[in-house]
Amino acid sequence: MTTNLFFQQVANGLAIGSVYAIFALGYTLIFSILGIINFAHGAVFTLGAYFTFTLTGTAFGFNGLLAQQKLPFSLWFPLALLGGALLAGLISVIIERLAFRPLRRRGADSLLTLVSSLGLAVAIVNIIQFLVGAEAYSYPSSALNDILTPFLFLFPDGKVPLALRVPLTEPPIIVRMVQVVIFATSIFILIALTYLINGTKVGKAMRAVAEDATTSSLLGISTDRLIQFTFFLSGFVGGIAGVLVGMSVGITGPYFGIAFGLKGLAVIVLGGLGSIPGAVLGGLVIGLGEALVPAEYIGYKDAVAFAVLFIVLLIRPQGLLGRVFIQKV
Amino acid sequence: MDFFSTYGFLIVSMLFQAMLGLSLYIPLMTGQLSLASPGFYALGGYIAAILSTTVFLPEGGGKWESGTFPIIYVLIETVLAGLASALLALLIGFPSLRLRGIYLALATIAFVEIVRVLSLNLEITGKAIGIFGVPQPFINKFDYVVLALPLLIASAWFVYRLERSRVGRAFTALREDELAAAAMGVNPTTNKVLAFVLGAVLAGMVGAISAHFLNTWNARQGTFDVSILVLAYVIIGGSRTFLGPILGGLLLTALPEVLRAIAGIQGLPLFLSQFLLDGRLIIYGLLIVVAPLFYPQGLITPDLFKRRAVKTKEAGA
Repeated sequence: MTTNLFFQQVANGLAIGSVYAIFALGYTLIFSILGIINFAHGAVFTLGAYFTFTLTGTAFGFNGLLAQQKLPFSLWFPLALLGGALLAGLISVIIERLAFRPLRRRGADSLLTLVSSLGLAVAIVNIIQFLVGAEAYSYPSSALNDILTPFLFLFPDGKVPLALRVPLTEPPIIVRMVQVVIFATSIFILIALTYLINGTKVGKAMRAVAEDATTSSLLGISTDRLIQFTFFLSGFVGGIAGVLVGMSVGITGPYFGIAFGLKGLAVIVLGGLGSIPGAVLGGLVIGLGEALVPAEYIGYKDAVAFAVLFIVLLIRPQGLLGRVFIQKV
Repeated sequence: MDFFSTYGFLIVSMLFQAMLGLSLYIPLMTGQLSLASPGFYALGGYIAAILSTTVFLPEGGGKWESGTFPIIYVLIETVLAGLASALLALLIGFPSLRLRGIYLALATIAFVEIVRVLSLNLEITGKAIGIFGVPQPFINKFDYVVLALPLLIASAWFVYRLERSRVGRAFTALREDELAAAAMGVNPTTNKVLAFVLGAVLAGMVGAISAHFLNTWNARQGTFDVSILVLAYVIIGGSRTFLGPILGGLLLTALPEVLRAIAGIQGLPLFLSQFLLDGRLIIYGLLIVVAPLFYPQGLITPDLFKRRAVKTKEAGA
């Protein structure tokens, strides 16, 4: 691998890794409060991408109940992204109501809740397929160019449209504009979330509930509402992650969030379940790890995350930045 | 015999799925949620498909004397698949069963995904195309019942006896309280690995016969989707007695056909019949969400068999 290729892949890896990071944060937020992995998070990711697609006012394909339908209006892409993420957050709140709250009320085993969220994920994915078919969608290039053009400031020579080039190297390192937008958006979200959790009152409440739900509810924190808010936040961020990936590689069908969701699990386990800096670190490590797979073994790229997951579980189950929990009777 | 030629495929599939349900149930007896069954199922299928298309060939490259693939070879493949699964399960079981609950579920998901990616990329597994033309030991699909039914009965009987043995009670003790069980002299690791290996062996054997049954084997056979389906059998059928996953596997595999029959009723609104035809997985998913609320232990619970005891208890309370 030449030095240039290496840096090229590092750039690619950082872009995808930053999406892994914000996606995995959705798992982390819920896990740190409930101690449960929300398997429906991958479905929320998918929904964010599809909602945004719908809001751009593009028609659906030829299959499904909504074949050839489209909204009577179309939104500017950043607005559509925001709307899609809000709707994804809303769905996430509904998921909490359907799959988490009833079982929590009954004091059910956390594995049962995991299964229940898995069931909801299956239902959501197949509802999407039922409504708009299993085909791949991609955001209309006109909508994307709207937001990418303002960034088009280096070497727009037509050969590599919408890309930055580092000019002094040969072959040049090319960073697609989409990657820059993805990376910038992810970093922005990371900073905003960190501020929300460490610098605001609601963040303080979240940390309190994560530490001890019973005590914090005795101290006047409405646990149920806080859990709802956490689910909204998780869905919102997960939805944005879905749109970002959709921008980069397209929406490859209703199942694309499931595969991504499984990788997200590897990310949070690597970083340490429930640890926010851990999720970020895990996302970047796995993104870079995937990007640095040599070209001749590219077919094994998808196994990187799972191999990492497996090895981490065996060697250091608490993850890179996690805390060790001692099981008490 | 019209019934069997129409529904033969379905009936045998139901038996296979019931066994897969059972293979997930066995580790669950010790309280370990392992989603690894599809990985071993895929492994068993590949072993049978590779052996029967490359090693067990008729002499001289012609046809088999009997016209069909000898059943004895299918049995050999099934045993080999079981052995290979047992070895692999031992290998990954010892380190990963130190993990509990969610961590074990994650490790087994990772295992299933790694198996899938490997089979998509290795030359010997036919890469993305898979292995075609796995030879048929029978002319009719329904005839596979002579392999599937005895295996189901044998494995069900085995689990039934297991539940009532010393080992089975050790499993239950681990499920109820690992620490207390360990204090009573039950070795958690040994018993968990044993349960994990037994489940893997069953899944591998089912895979070997399935490869013949389906005629082809590829990376789509053992995926995370299958994990969820098999999990649904156990959750909906029942996770506290071996009859639960068997019933769950039988019922849920038959469900699409039942829905198709309902969708065929005259005078149903078009979107509804369309939903019944295409929305099978939506219904599965919602069932998995709803079932734990109404039947926390599944449709079949051990209490069903001691109804009287329960009733007197309720009357007393």
